[in-house]
Amino acid sequence: MEIDYEPIAGRSTGYYLLLTALLVLVAAGVTATVLMIAYGIHLSGMTNRVPWGLQIVMAIFYIGLSAGSLVVSGLYGIFGKLEYKPFARIAAFLAMLFLIAGLLSIVTDQGRIDRVFVQPFAHFNATSMFSINPALYMGHIMICIFYMWALFKEKGRLTKVTSVTVVLWALCVHTGTGAIFAFTPRELYNTALLPPSFVAAALSSGAALMILVLVSLFRITRRHLDVALVIWLGRLLAVFIIVAMYVILIENAHRFYLIESREATSYYLFKGYHAVLFWGGLIVVGSVVPAVLLFRRRTGTSVPWIVFSSVLVVVGVLCERYLIVLPGLEHPPNLFPGMEIIASALDEGIVTYSISLLEILQALGVLSLIGFMFVLGLKYLPLLPTEARAHGQSQMLKDLIARATANAEAEPTSPAV
Amino acid sequence: MDRREFLKTGGLFLVGTPCVYGLMAMAAPRPHEAGATDARRWGMVIDLNRCPADCSACLEACRRENNVAVHGDRRWDIHWIRKVTIRKKHEADAPTRTLPLLCNHCDHPPCAQVCPVQATYKRADGIVIVDHHRCIGCRYCLIACPYNARYFNYRENDEWPNKAYPKRSHGVAESCNFCAHRLDQGRPPACVEACRDSGAGALKVGDLDDPDSEISRLIADNSVKRIREDLGTEPKVYYIGL
Repeated sequence: MEIDYEPIAGRSTGYYLLLTALLVLVAAGVTATVLMIAYGIHLSGMTNRVPWGLQIVMAIFYIGLSAGSLVVSGLYGIFGKLEYKPFARIAAFLAMLFLIAGLLSIVTDQGRIDRVFVQPFAHFNATSMFSINPALYMGHIMICIFYMWALFKEKGRLTKVTSVTVVLWALCVHTGTGAIFAFTPRELYNTALLPPSFVAAALSSGAALMILVLVSLFRITRRHLDVALVIWLGRLLAVFIIVAMYVILIENAHRFYLIESREATSYYLFKGYHAVLFWGGLIVVGSVVPAVLLFRRRTGTSVPWIVFSSVLVVVGVLCERYLIVLPGLEHPPNLFPGMEIIASALDEGIVTYSISLLEILQALGVLSLIGFMFVLGLKYLPLLPTEARAHGQSQMLKDLIARATANAEAEPTSPAV
Repeated sequence: MDRREFLKTGGLFLVGTPCVYGLMAMAAPRPHEAGATDARRWGMVIDLNRCPADCSACLEACRRENNVAVHGDRRWDIHWIRKVTIRKKHEADAPTRTLPLLCNHCDHPPCAQVCPVQATYKRADGIVIVDHHRCIGCRYCLIACPYNARYFNYRENDEWPNKAYPKRSHGVAESCNFCAHRLDQGRPPACVEACRDSGAGALKVGDLDDPDSEISRLIADNSVKRIREDLGTEPKVYYIGL
C-alpha cells in the first residue's frame, strides 16, 4: 500500500499569523525565564515548603503526552496495522516534540540554568532519578529522530525494530518519571504504584491528544480521514481510561487504608481544592464521562463526541499531573508522629501553592516553542499523508463504519466542540 | 573566512566549550574537604532539659556565622537551625516542648542520594554538605529531606555579616553543615559555642565513633531519641528529654 505524503503549503496569512503568535508567546516565556535568572525564582509561586510547582507539573504532563503518540505510531510499527501507517510519522514527530517540551520545562525550572548543561554530565549521580531521567529523555529524543528517519525512508524492517525499541524505551522513560516522586520518602509520593499509574495516565492522555491533533489537522488541511480510524482510536482511548482509573483508585485506596498515611490521604482526597481536582477533574470529567461517552454506541461512533471526550481526558490528566506533584508538598512531612507543631519560624503545617503569572508565561512559552516547531515541521517535513483510509478493513471496522453512517443519518445534530 | 571554515569553527566552539567547562567542573576541588577524615564521625547531642524555650542564642549565632538569609518572609527565609514548639495532637492543654531542629547529617542522607550533580554529599567525617559552586538549583533535595531541613535561595541575600565565610547566590540549595569550616580548625560550631557562652550548654558536638567522647557518654548514660528514626536515615543529632 502506497501512501503519499504532502507537506502543507504554508503560504496563507493564517499560517504566518499562527507562527507570529507562537513566537510572541515564546518571547514572553523567554522574558519570564530571564527575569527569574536575574532576580531568583521567588518570582514563581514556589517556597521552601513547596519547592516544585507548575513547571514540574507541565514537564510530567508533556512527557506523558508523548507516550500515547508513540503507541499510535506503534500500532503500525509493531502490530503492523497498515491502516494506521498514515499517522506513524506525525505521531513520532509529536512524541519527540513533547519530550523536548518536558526537558525544556525542567531546564527552565532550575535555580542555576547556567550550570545545567555542564554539571549533570560532569558529575553524574547514578542514584538520582534526576540524573537517570535526562539521560533517558535525551536517548528517547535521539531514537525518535532515528525512527522518523526510518519512517521517511520507508525502511520496513528497520522501522519495525526501531518502533519496538522506542516503545520499550518510552516505558523506561515513563517509569523513570514516576520514580522521581515514588522513590522519595514523602507520604504522598512513596508508592510503588506511582510509576504504573503514571504510565497508564500517560497512555490515555497521549491517545486523546493524538485524536485531537489528527482530527483537527485533517480537517484544517481538508484531507480525508476515515471515520472508522477515529472510532477505533476512541475505543483504544476508552480502554486506556479504564486502566488508568483502576490503577489510580487502587493507589489511593491503599494509602487511605493504611493508618500511617490515612491522615495525609484524606486531606488530599476529601479536603480543599485537591478534592475538587481529584473527584471532579480527574474522576468525573477526566475518566467517567469520557469512558461512558466512548463506550456508548451512539456517542462512541460520532467524531464530535470522540473529540469532546478526548478534550475531557486531556484536562483530567492535567489535573492528575498536578495532583501527583502538589498535594505531597503542601501536606507537611510528619516530623513528630502523634505530636503537632504549634510554633515555628517555618510554615510547618499545611501550606498552599499559588501559580504566579511568570510561571504561566514560562509554561506557555515552552508549549508555544514546540507548537512552532510542529507547525514548521508540517511545512518542511513529509509528515502529513494526503489521506487516511482504512484499507483492508476488518469486519469490526466495517460494522463501526456502518453504525457511524446510520448515526449521522439518524441524528444530524452534534455537540459543539 | 569562508562558509565552510565558519561552520567548522562554530561547530568546534559549540562542542568544545561545554567539554572544556565539563573538564574544569570535574577537576574542581571540593570546598572544606581538607579537614575531613574518617578518623572521626561528627554528631550532636541536644539536652532539652538545659535548653530554655525562650533562648535563641544558637539561632542568632548561626545566622551571623554562616550569613544565613533573612528576607522577612516566611516563604523564603532560610533556617539552618530553627526552634519549634510541639505538643500532643488534639490536646490543647497538653504540656508543650520547645526544641531546636537542624540538619540531622543522616548516615544515609536522602538529599545526597537524589542530588543529580553530587553537589550534596557526605564527607568522610559524616558531615552532609552542599557544594554551592556545583548545585544547579533543582530543589530535589528539598523534596527528599524528610526533616524540612533543607532550604533554597529563592532570592539574593543582601546581608553579609561574616565576610570570612561566603554568602550564597540565589538559585542554590543549602542547609546546616555543622560549621565544617570551624570543626576543621578545631573550633566548635557557632551554635554550640553560643549555647555554651549563654550558660545553658545544651548543645554538644563530638565524635560518635570515640566511646570516650563527651557525646558518646551522654548518649550511653541518657535516654536519647532521634527524629523519625523509623525512616532508617540514621540521623546523627540525638535529643535528651524529647
